[in-house]
Amino acid sequence: MDRYELRREDYSLTTDHTDLQAAFAKLFQSHCGIDEVRAAEATGFDEGLWKQLIATGATSMAISEAEGGDGATLVDLTLIAEEVGRALAPVPWIDHVVSARLLARLGALAGDEAIISGTRILALDAAGTGTSGKRLVAQGAIADEIIVREGDDIVRVSFSDKPARVDNLAKLPMAWVDPGAADTRTPVAGGPEAVKAFELAVDEWRLLTASALVGLLEATMRIAAEFAVSRYTLGVPIASLQGISHPLANIAITVESGRNLGRKAAWFLDNEPDVRPELASAAYVYMTEEASKSATFAVHVQGGLGVSTEAASTAYLTRARGWPLAGGDPARAAVRVAELAAARETAQASA
Amino acid sequence: MDFSKVELTDDEKAFQAEVREFLDTYVTDEVRKHDRDTGDNFDIGVHRALADKGWLEKEIKGAEGWEGGFTRVESRIWHLERRKAEFPWVTWGTTVLIAHSVAMFAKPELRDEVLQGVYDGDVRMCLGYTEPEGGSDVATCKTRAVRDGDDWVINGSKMFTTGAHNSQYCFLITNTDPEARKHKSLTMFLVPLDTPGVEIQPLWTVDGDRTNIVYYSDVRISDKYRLGEVNEGWTVVREPLNKEHGVVDAVIDGLDDVSILQHQGMYIANAADAVVAETAKEDSDGNRRIDDPLVSVRLGQSLAKIEAALVSPHMFGRVALAQAMREVSPVLMDIVGPTSVLPIDEPGADLSRAEYVYRWAPLTGIYGGTLEVFRNMIAQYILGLGKPVYAAPKAPAAS
Repeated sequence: MDRYELRREDYSLTTDHTDLQAAFAKLFQSHCGIDEVRAAEATGFDEGLWKQLIATGATSMAISEAEGGDGATLVDLTLIAEEVGRALAPVPWIDHVVSARLLARLGALAGDEAIISGTRILALDAAGTGTSGKRLVAQGAIADEIIVREGDDIVRVSFSDKPARVDNLAKLPMAWVDPGAADTRTPVAGGPEAVKAFELAVDEWRLLTASALVGLLEATMRIAAEFAVSRYTLGVPIASLQGISHPLANIAITVESGRNLGRKAAWFLDNEPDVRPELASAAYVYMTEEASKSATFAVHVQGGLGVSTEAASTAYLTRARGWPLAGGDPARAAVRVAELAAARETAQASA
Repeated sequence: MDFSKVELTDDEKAFQAEVREFLDTYVTDEVRKHDRDTGDNFDIGVHRALADKGWLEKEIKGAEGWEGGFTRVESRIWHLERRKAEFPWVTWGTTVLIAHSVAMFAKPELRDEVLQGVYDGDVRMCLGYTEPEGGSDVATCKTRAVRDGDDWVINGSKMFTTGAHNSQYCFLITNTDPEARKHKSLTMFLVPLDTPGVEIQPLWTVDGDRTNIVYYSDVRISDKYRLGEVNEGWTVVREPLNKEHGVVDAVIDGLDDVSILQHQGMYIANAADAVVAETAKEDSDGNRRIDDPLVSVRLGQSLAKIEAALVSPHMFGRVALAQAMREVSPVLMDIVGPTSVLPIDEPGADLSRAEYVYRWAPLTGIYGGTLEVFRNMIAQYILGLGKPVYAAPKAPAAS
């Protein structure tokens, strides 16, 4: 790739962007504090919050106007995902919107108002590798329908009794799902094009998860920084010790890097989808690796208080690991990055 | 937000073609080989040709926002194309940086003389900041300048005065009041390097670059060469440091680097692309190394780290790029295997140059201040953690 091509590198946000950010930040500040997050841990789902969220158009905006939605960009969605992460919001927003977009892409959404408005919840088997059998699906216990890939086929499955939730690290509404045992199975599409569409949905899931991790890390970093300023050892604030301040600065670097990478990846998928398709998975690979390290350090800064199950930092710690892992082994995303880069370099060599 | 290709006018397209033709003509394989062999990072032939084109003047004027300079788009074209051509740039880079301070702080007579010399290609300038016992804190300065009538007499030494042997002036930090607080003790001079008492000694670094130690022994210069006020040197030195640190606000048109070190960072990105291209080739049995997860997983992780560093803004990017170069270059060398240790001019050498990036990466962590300086700045200004507390060692007990 010619990395010296004359392109703009403009990461600035418009006032529409910042208004959108502010609106969702405010919604989560008002309705999704750490107490609400903890209260939803038994089910992994805050239904009241979901209703408020979808009332703002947070799901319909992800669908194009032609398909009956409000036509937001992926860049817009990364901004919302960041706020979801910052608040640790127990809502299936990422899974639902990428699934709905997948159905639209495959011509199977058909203006379904319940899905567009978010009253009928979709889950994506983001970790699915095309094999059959029982698997863990992150939003499996609350979804009305789950979209899975079986070989070259994309299938919608649903159960008359939703699969039972199993407890899990990130307190997701996770369930064992066997698509073969579903009460309703609706094939959506098949063949290489369908698989490509599914892979793009997984890319979008990874991208929005990466953006959520940016917000998550920024929040836990800020809590740790505040603690470090007020906690003293041998007469000085621990914030003044480079053993504390430099790892926190590294988290700030991760946040800024991951944020810009996510937005750039989204911009390319919105505007020139064939040019930098690998960036979505790259953002996820980068943020997944950094998230667990950074969230662990944020706990560490707060010492004995940080490790308490009552501390907010532990809520961030568990989700920093459990959220991205719902997409399967991150090494698969790394392979995807390499494959897309190889396709790019090979095309250039033969051009 | 915008990452689109810049739409060029006919004039801009013609300029881009002219730049490419110039670089093809003057920045030859021989020039690049000579640069590798000497570590000079400066080529007098290319520099004279640039002066003849009028592009030295246009670049300075463009950077200063003065009439007659490159436009923003022309400037971006020039920067991208010359990086791609691997133009030996360092001495010109320091000259541009210092020209900004000369324009702001030199007396009119000196300013006009120096800037004209810079435009003509006759004047190059180097940075005299770091001292053998100093390190990253440029305000810890032992080199003394003492007033003597209309002159100043300078004594001391400076490390890492890169390009001194190809420069006419050194932008020198001196101490003019050893009793004062450190930021009130400094005075800046533009020292003509042909003044008696200046001695330049070469020092080669592990990445193959040449830098210098410069000794100043009773160097007598006129007050004409002082920049800014006496004991107000910190105000003068902060200007280019702000630029070098990348803390100066950028114009939002997407035509600036998002951080400094983009030039260096591109080497690790290009190295990774080269390893991808090489491992994606089919062997005689039609197999590709990149289809082996041993290769693809590490390449994917490496690319992720690189892409994140390349987009990281201002001082965050300063650290992220140096870290990416340090962390990724050994991984690329592992994937390439034993040929990655051969020098680039050796037949059979790995053309990704990951080995070069590995040797260069330590340098990128100290240019313009160490990574720790930047982490301190992020901790203090972004996270509100305050300044680090440094405890001086206890004085030994009197016996």
